[in-house]
Amino acid sequence: MLKKMLKSLRSLRFTIVLISLLGCMFIIGLWVPQKDLLRDIYFQWQASSPKLVAFLDFFQLTSIYTSWVTLTLWAFFFINLSLVMWLRIPVMMKRIEMPLARIADPEAAPGYPFRGNYPLPASMDRAAVIKGLAGSGYAVISNDLAFYGVKNRLSPLASGLFHLSFFLILVGGLVSVYSEFIGYIDLAQGEPFAGELSRYNQKPPPKMPKIGSPPHAAFTIQSVVPQVVRNTPVGISVKLVDPQGAVHEVGINSPYTTEHSSFVFKHLGVAPLFTLTDPSGREVGGSYFKLDVVNGKEDGFRLGDFTFKAYFFPDFEQKDGIKRTKTMEFNNPTFYLIAERAGQKVAEGIVPKLGSLDFLGYRLQMREMPYWVRFYVIKQRGLAIVYSGFAIASIAVIWRLIFFRREILGAVREKDGVPCLLVAGRSEYYKKLAEDEFALLFGKLVGQTPQR
Amino acid sequence: MAYWEMIFYWVALIVYSLSCGGFLYSFIFKNPRVMPKLTALFMVGFLAHTVAIIARFNATGHLPWSGHYEYALMGGWFILGATLWVGWRNKQLQGLAVATLPLVIIMMGYGYMQHPGLTPKAASLKTIWLYIHVYFAWLAFGAYSLAMAAGVLFLKKQKDSLNPVPNETYARFPSLEHLDELIFRYVVFGFITDTIMMAAGALWAKDLWGGYWNWDPVETWSLISWLTYGILIHLRVTFGWKEKRLAWLAICALSTVIICFFGVNLVVNTSLHMFQVR
Repeated sequence: MLKKMLKSLRSLRFTIVLISLLGCMFIIGLWVPQKDLLRDIYFQWQASSPKLVAFLDFFQLTSIYTSWVTLTLWAFFFINLSLVMWLRIPVMMKRIEMPLARIADPEAAPGYPFRGNYPLPASMDRAAVIKGLAGSGYAVISNDLAFYGVKNRLSPLASGLFHLSFFLILVGGLVSVYSEFIGYIDLAQGEPFAGELSRYNQKPPPKMPKIGSPPHAAFTIQSVVPQVVRNTPVGISVKLVDPQGAVHEVGINSPYTTEHSSFVFKHLGVAPLFTLTDPSGREVGGSYFKLDVVNGKEDGFRLGDFTFKAYFFPDFEQKDGIKRTKTMEFNNPTFYLIAERAGQKVAEGIVPKLGSLDFLGYRLQMREMPYWVRFYVIKQRGLAIVYSGFAIASIAVIWRLIFFRREILGAVREKDGVPCLLVAGRSEYYKKLAEDEFALLFGKLVGQTPQR
Repeated sequence: MAYWEMIFYWVALIVYSLSCGGFLYSFIFKNPRVMPKLTALFMVGFLAHTVAIIARFNATGHLPWSGHYEYALMGGWFILGATLWVGWRNKQLQGLAVATLPLVIIMMGYGYMQHPGLTPKAASLKTIWLYIHVYFAWLAFGAYSLAMAAGVLFLKKQKDSLNPVPNETYARFPSLEHLDELIFRYVVFGFITDTIMMAAGALWAKDLWGGYWNWDPVETWSLISWLTYGILIHLRVTFGWKEKRLAWLAICALSTVIICFFGVNLVVNTSLHMFQVR
């Protein structure tokens, strides 16, 4: 019973079933918004279809990549892989050995689809043939009667390496998941950060590591310079100054990395300093407001008794009474503000950079307009293991599938009084293409075309 | 689209269509003699295609790497370049164009309907990893397309071999055994480049998005595609699947690659792989 179960668990059929089932799970994951990946969409959907979402939640279809079904399938996948690997190791080792028993009669040995008979030129003997084969990358062993050669003898080891890479990726992945801290933090130009957990955004809340500690980074945002050409963001330069005074530049594709932690630029916003003065000229309030308005979104802030709805146009123009942005370049950054008091609209107007809005005797003035940036902060360990896995997988696939084994048997015998090189050859994966290769190899070696 | 790009894009499409029609004619009406001439015509289209890419490069300052139109422009170039390359190395394989040309014509037509506007290179694409990742992705797509084309030829030739009067056109192609091995060889090449593409993409993703694997729809489909071809290789090596079954597998497996490149972003607008270009 146990033997039968083990046999099933290590079968290729089982591998295919597992991969097919995992594929089905992935496909479902593409269509059903996933809680952890598409939070906003998920919450909107949950609000509009609570029953359906509750039903899908119950079956973990909204967190499908970490559902117990998927995890069980992955567990079986690695059990299957381990069993296959365990059985393959002795087979691999046996294949790379070169015992004398491999030498056989090239005219009679079974399993060699290529056979050839090449008359040898007078200047060539068996030793010269073996030397020539060695020059073409063949490891050759011989006895008095015949010889055996193999090219890319160690190639079967690459299969083991390839499957080993899966384990490295799995182990590295597990270490990284359990040591993972993920959080978002919004920081404006000039704002310091000393690694305080309370400073991270609470929506979504930071994911704390199960092993290890959160990041210990400390720095101040020195400058933020976005670069946009027409409607395409082509770059951003965020300069950070650490407590030692060193300046680090963060851009897209170049996060700030320190002590296993990465600060990845995710989002840009504007953080204007607005002050409000009352009809007597007394300042009633003022603050920097981190507004998430760059992509045409509405945001708002509260100052004094008023709440303000804010819309932002990076390259403002008013045409035929319509307010719009010409491009996404920050050529003429302008706010359109709607002021409300007790839920009633009391004023509206445009406020260009460092401009002001006068209403009901009050004056709202923009003193500065720095930017703020949202960092995706991630701390993980085990990445070196994952990357080793990627590197080994790539090397092993190239090694195994390009540098595959070719085996030849050969003997020098007299045929009709003429010394001839009799050969038999076989190759992994290919039969016909290898025949062409062998014909070319031996033809070149003896300087003749084969008589087959 | 840049002015010269537009002209040469259409010249390429028209010439490809003419040569594709010619290849179909030579198969259906059993006239293999026209095939070298059609290959020459196909090369003219390829030259025009190359000029269109150069014109776009000249206008934007970067190679066309992103968005459906650029996928079609550059991907088509890789697929047809691979077809011409193997046809040049082995004249018997010139007929592969009968399957790759229609695929590329449809891709280019679809791409044109998407977003052919000239856009500067998005910030997210400014990294050396882009070249490694995309280059290997196109090599994989090219190789898998050739495997599909060899599969089509294999099936047609095998079916024709049962006829009392075989079609002369098929005699120009390699033997069934050679075609069978070529399908596998192209799949193997594609699988290697696919593996490098995924590894390079994961390293890039760590810097760009913070995580080497994000279960993005395009990532997930590239994994499905990679596993599909991995299974195909295992079926061939371990179970000895070959000939008709292998040919059908090579044809069907290409659908996973097409979904990965074009299909996902068509139905899902949340993919990280849009790079603000669509």
